[in-house]
Amino acid sequence: MATNASDASRATLLIVEDEVLPAMALRDELEDAGYRVMDLTGRQAEALDAVRDCKPDLALVNIKLHGRDDGIALAESLTAQGIPVVFISGQTSRARSARTTAIGSLPKPYNAADMVLAVGYLLAHLKGDESQPRPAGLEVFDGEPDTAAA
Amino acid sequence: MAVVESSPGPLLLLDGDLNIVAASLSFLDAFGIEPAAAPGNPLASLGGGEWRAPQLQSLLTATLSGAAKIETYEMDLRRPGGEVRHLIVHAQRLVYLDVDNVRLLVAFTDATDARASEKAKDDALRRNLVLLQEVRHRVANSLQIIASVLLQNARKAASAETRGHLKDAHSRVMSVAALERQLAGTGEDHVELYAYFTSLCDSISASMIPDGHQLALVVEGARGTVDATVSVSLGLIVTELVINALKHAFPDQRTGKITVECQFRGPNWSLSVTDDGIGMPTDPAEIRTGLGTSIVEALARQLQATVKVESARAGTRVDVTHTQVSLVDGQAADAEATVAASRAAQSK
Repeated sequence: MATNASDASRATLLIVEDEVLPAMALRDELEDAGYRVMDLTGRQAEALDAVRDCKPDLALVNIKLHGRDDGIALAESLTAQGIPVVFISGQTSRARSARTTAIGSLPKPYNAADMVLAVGYLLAHLKGDESQPRPAGLEVFDGEPDTAAA
Repeated sequence: MAVVESSPGPLLLLDGDLNIVAASLSFLDAFGIEPAAAPGNPLASLGGGEWRAPQLQSLLTATLSGAAKIETYEMDLRRPGGEVRHLIVHAQRLVYLDVDNVRLLVAFTDATDARASEKAKDDALRRNLVLLQEVRHRVANSLQIIASVLLQNARKAASAETRGHLKDAHSRVMSVAALERQLAGTGEDHVELYAYFTSLCDSISASMIPDGHQLALVVEGARGTVDATVSVSLGLIVTELVINALKHAFPDQRTGKITVECQFRGPNWSLSVTDDGIGMPTDPAEIRTGLGTSIVEALARQLQATVKVESARAGTRVDVTHTQVSLVDGQAADAEATVAASRAAQSK
C-alpha cells in the first residue's frame, strides 16, 4: 500500500457516506495511512454537528446521503466554513456541475488505495505543493471549466 | 384547375386579389372547409377567419408583387374550436403572358404530427440518458460495495494466502470498476485503451506494490479504441498477468519493471505483458499454475485470441494475439505458429 505518513501527519478527515461498507473500508485504509478519521456518518446534520467540535482538514463527501440529504448542499455549508471538500460519488455530472463547492472529485467506483493517494495529493495541493503526481481518476476543480482530468 | 383540385397535398390557386381560383379536395378536407365556400371567395373569408392572419396575408401579397420570393413560411393555424395546427407554407407566383392575370400557387404541409413525434423522440432520448446515468450510478455503487467487502475481508483474513486471494479478487473487481468509471466519463461505448490501461495500472500499483518496493509498472502503445465488451476482457487479462508478474517475478524486494503494451493493425491486435524479473521456473507444472492461468486462457478464447508465454531477454513475456485478418507480410505465418504453440501448451 502506498502511503505517505509524513504528509499525513495526523491530518483529520471527515467521511460523509451513506453506504456503510465503502465508508468503513475507506476509513480503515486512511487510518492505516496515518490519518485521523472522524466518526462515520451519512447524514448532513450529523456532519455539520461534528465539524462544530472539530474542523477537519478535508471532507470526503458522497452526493447521495441518508434519506433526502444531499452532499452538494452539505459541501456548500462546509466550504462556507473553510473546510475543503472532495466528492466521492458516482454521480460525476452532478459533481462537476457543483465544482465551485469542492476542490475535486474521485468518482465511484474508486480504489481505496487511489483515495489514499488522492487525499495526500489534495492536502499537498491545498498547501501549494504540486510535486506529487495526480492519482488515477482524480479530478481537481480549480474554478476553471476545463481543468478536469480525463 | 383539375390538377390543383386533385392534388394529394393541400393546395390553393389564388388570383391577384387573393381570391380562391381553385382549392384541392385535400385542402378542403384537411381544414374542414365546405367545397361550396371556396371558389371565388377571398382566402381571408374561409373558415372562421383563421386564414385572415396578417402575417400570411402580407407574405402572399409580397410574393404576388414579386417583392419577395419566399420558399417556406411557418404559421400556426388557430381554428375556432380546433387544435392549433403547425403549417409550412410554400407560395409560388405564376406569371402568364397576360401580365394582369397573375396567379399564386400555395401549398401547405401540416407539420403538427411530425413536430410532436420529433418532440416525443427528443423527450424519450432525454429520458433514456437520465436512465443510463442512473444505471451507471447504481453499477458504480454496487462495484464499490463489492470491492469494499473484499478489501475488508482481506484485512481480516488470518492467513497470508487467503489475504492474497482476496486482494487478487479485489484487483479483478477494480479492473472492471476502472473501465466503468472511464465509460461513465465519456458516455461512449468505445474505450481508449491507453487511458484505461494507465488508470488500471496506477490502481494496481497503488494497491499491490508495497511501499519502498522499487517496481515500475508502465503502459506503452495501446493507441486505439476497442468496444467496451472487448476492453473489459483485456483489462482482466492485464490485471491477471500483472498480478502474476508481481507475485512471481520479483521475489525478495527485487527491483524491476513490468511493461504492458498493446498494438493495433487494422482489426488485429496484440497485447503483451513483459517483466524483467527472475524468469520462468524450469518445472513445467509451475509454469502452468504460475502463468498460464485459467482466467487468461478463458478470456483469450472468448476474444478468439491466442496466448504465448516465453522467456524475454530478462524475465518473462506473455503475448495475447487476436488475428482477425491474416496480413501478407509474414504475420499470417506468425499467427499460425502462435496457434500451434498455444494448442501444444493446452494439450500438456
